[in-house]
Amino acid sequence: MNLKKSLLIAFVISAISITAWEFYWRSQGYYPTLNDEKALWAMHRADVETATKEDYVILGSSRAYFDIQIKEFEESTGKKPIQLSSTGSSPLPTFHDIVNNTSFNGTIIMGITPGLFFSTTFPEASPWKRPQSKVDYFQKRTYAQRINYELSIPLQQNLVFMSADEEEWTDDIDLKSFIRNIQIGNRNGGPTMPPFYSFGDVTLDRNMSMTSRTVSDTAFANSITRVWGYFGKNSPPPDKKATMAFFMEDLKKFKARNGTLLLIRCPSSGGVRMGENMVFPRKYFWKDLVKQAGVKSYHFEDYEQLKNLKCPEWSHLSATDAKYFTQELLKIMKADGAILNSKTK
Amino acid sequence: MLFNSLSFVVFLVIVLALYYSKLFNWNSKKRMLLLSSYIFYGLWNPPLVILLWISTVIDWITGKKLAVEENQRKRVLWLLLSMSVNLGFLFFFKYGNFLLENFTLLMNAVGVDYHSRPMDIILPMGISFYTFQTMSYTIDMYNRTSERARTFLDFALYVTFFPQLVAGPIVRAQDLVSQFYEEKRATINQFIWGLFLVTIGLFQKVVLADTLLSDTADTIYGSGKVLNFLDAWTGTLAFSGQIFFDFAGYSTCAIGISLMLGITLTENFNYPYASLGFSDLWKRWHISLSSWLRDYLYIPLGGNRKGITRMYAALMITMLLGGLWHGAAWTFIVWGGLHGTYLILERLQRKYIPFKITKWNGMFLAFTTFTCVNFTWVFFRAREFSTAKNMLMSMLFMNSDGEKILQTFDIIKILVVVSILFLCHWFMRNTSMKEVSTKIAPWVLGVVWAILFFLIVIAQGSGEQFIYFQF
Repeated sequence: MNLKKSLLIAFVISAISITAWEFYWRSQGYYPTLNDEKALWAMHRADVETATKEDYVILGSSRAYFDIQIKEFEESTGKKPIQLSSTGSSPLPTFHDIVNNTSFNGTIIMGITPGLFFSTTFPEASPWKRPQSKVDYFQKRTYAQRINYELSIPLQQNLVFMSADEEEWTDDIDLKSFIRNIQIGNRNGGPTMPPFYSFGDVTLDRNMSMTSRTVSDTAFANSITRVWGYFGKNSPPPDKKATMAFFMEDLKKFKARNGTLLLIRCPSSGGVRMGENMVFPRKYFWKDLVKQAGVKSYHFEDYEQLKNLKCPEWSHLSATDAKYFTQELLKIMKADGAILNSKTK
Repeated sequence: MLFNSLSFVVFLVIVLALYYSKLFNWNSKKRMLLLSSYIFYGLWNPPLVILLWISTVIDWITGKKLAVEENQRKRVLWLLLSMSVNLGFLFFFKYGNFLLENFTLLMNAVGVDYHSRPMDIILPMGISFYTFQTMSYTIDMYNRTSERARTFLDFALYVTFFPQLVAGPIVRAQDLVSQFYEEKRATINQFIWGLFLVTIGLFQKVVLADTLLSDTADTIYGSGKVLNFLDAWTGTLAFSGQIFFDFAGYSTCAIGISLMLGITLTENFNYPYASLGFSDLWKRWHISLSSWLRDYLYIPLGGNRKGITRMYAALMITMLLGGLWHGAAWTFIVWGGLHGTYLILERLQRKYIPFKITKWNGMFLAFTTFTCVNFTWVFFRAREFSTAKNMLMSMLFMNSDGEKILQTFDIIKILVVVSILFLCHWFMRNTSMKEVSTKIAPWVLGVVWAILFFLIVIAQGSGEQFIYFQF
């Protein structure tokens, strides 16, 4: 047994194969990006612990995540917001966490995607479980996990093959994803979800922006709209009563400590908009929510400069439009006295 | 800190660099290893390092007293002190809620209206491992079968040695402490073999357990549905493979890391899924625990020296407590009870219907043993008896209209992986990885090593915790 020789061979083959793997994926158009994961979310959730009355926290689902751009927000308000929105998630678990586990009394901007906000309070349902798992991760994360994440950041930012997003995108390039994508027939006869490709890039400050491919490649954008169609057809009916009751209880506590909540409804278009108007009529859901909440609210349909924005895949704005949306929304909010420009305070 | 994490890679590189640097003498290296071990543990939850310190100090004092004390009554008291502190920790942190819950049920059953609120207690990682390890020292000291550790540093390092601290192997003092007395350096071959073992262990954990098997086991056991025969078996086989690769992966890493420091740990797994019966299984599965239970429970209970009935009772008590060691739930106790029953039935078979194991019936016997083991895993994995009952009924064709929830490829994947696992264990049962590696060309070993490493890299893993950390 010549272990030195074996080690040398293993080292050389490993180095060659990993380098080849990296360059292969780069040649396929992939580029290094951060994964949108719990650890990143938790890093920003930690900032709420020390946030002041002047700070802003953004909650919501992927629309608030894609459509509010951090840089534009900071330029307009002088404050970098804490972005805690989460894809495919109800904002209620995170709001509950902030209200009950912190003393934050600044401004929370909550994006309302009706299909998620009014979906459920059932802990095992996906729109609830996803954000709750992030909250739980934050509450229980160990020092070792924090160090792991810090160490993984430069690797994720520089290596394409470090792509194992928690979202489990079809185009993730880790072993589990390759195996998950193999299908032979449909044994259980259940609905089959269409391929769901990653269509946004996230940065370390949790700024999410739509990829240029989603804007320029209609076929690719259509692959995403098919996923919205799948969710639309396979989602259980909304539970307005339970979600509202849960929300109102936390809102009462938040208001009692002088916190400010702003509700926003980000744009949707095409089939998603049609579906939302049908299942979640504005009068019955949005207006009732605003009325019961008694807080300032902003619906994109109410503003000339926002109402005609088009979402390339029907649910989120392109990076360019998101910047515009953020700037215009903040102008509207400032004019309304909802937020202040701390630069001029 | 987890072996399958980036922080551990950095941690290990620093520890190895300091260990092999010429900056320190042997005592300072041991101090460095001890401090590293506390950091290794403390990065999970720093305050719980205090438990380790208490356990270390109490058992060091106890050992010291037991080494010189001649008065039998006082010796018993010193032993009781050690046992009560260690078992006290274990009962409070691990079994507190279980005891409270059962006490409440008992009170309610006898008509007393008693309600209790579950205690919000963190289970210290690996508490069952290090308490058993340190208890073995004081029991051996009491029995005068082991020598006292020479210095407090040696003893503290024995209790806390990071490669095996949180999930074993549970090492006896005479096997480990004595290795700390003289300077240890791994030979170049030991170091490389240790590195190879770490690769094997990580491959088992990251690729086989977490990437290929865990999702299917979780889907099946978390479905809450009455399942089809094939789905139930696939889920159970997936868990069977997952728990082996997860735990054996940890032990292999621990042995490998330790070897890179020039310190040898005992083997913990020896191809258990090709066991010929249950006595054989427990000589191959979690060897350090089963030998602990044999030496400190089964033999003191009488073992096979006090008649057949007493032997069966000792066997059953040992396995029931072995089950409870794994977790504070009745399902674990039933798991232990099933193994106890299997062991008793096997002894009865040997007595009344003995047969010779040949190469022809051996594989059939191994397959039968593996099948029976899978039935026990149902209780180990199911969180509730209702789930276990549904799973068992499905596995026994008693739920003819059970739901199909797995896709065809998932079933094929699990059956292929578990079949290869079983065959590997069968062909390796009388040999070892080391022996096989000496017979193959170095380039073959190198290529295999590179493939394993490449698969670990592309699997990436999400830093899943090892299952046995919770025990």
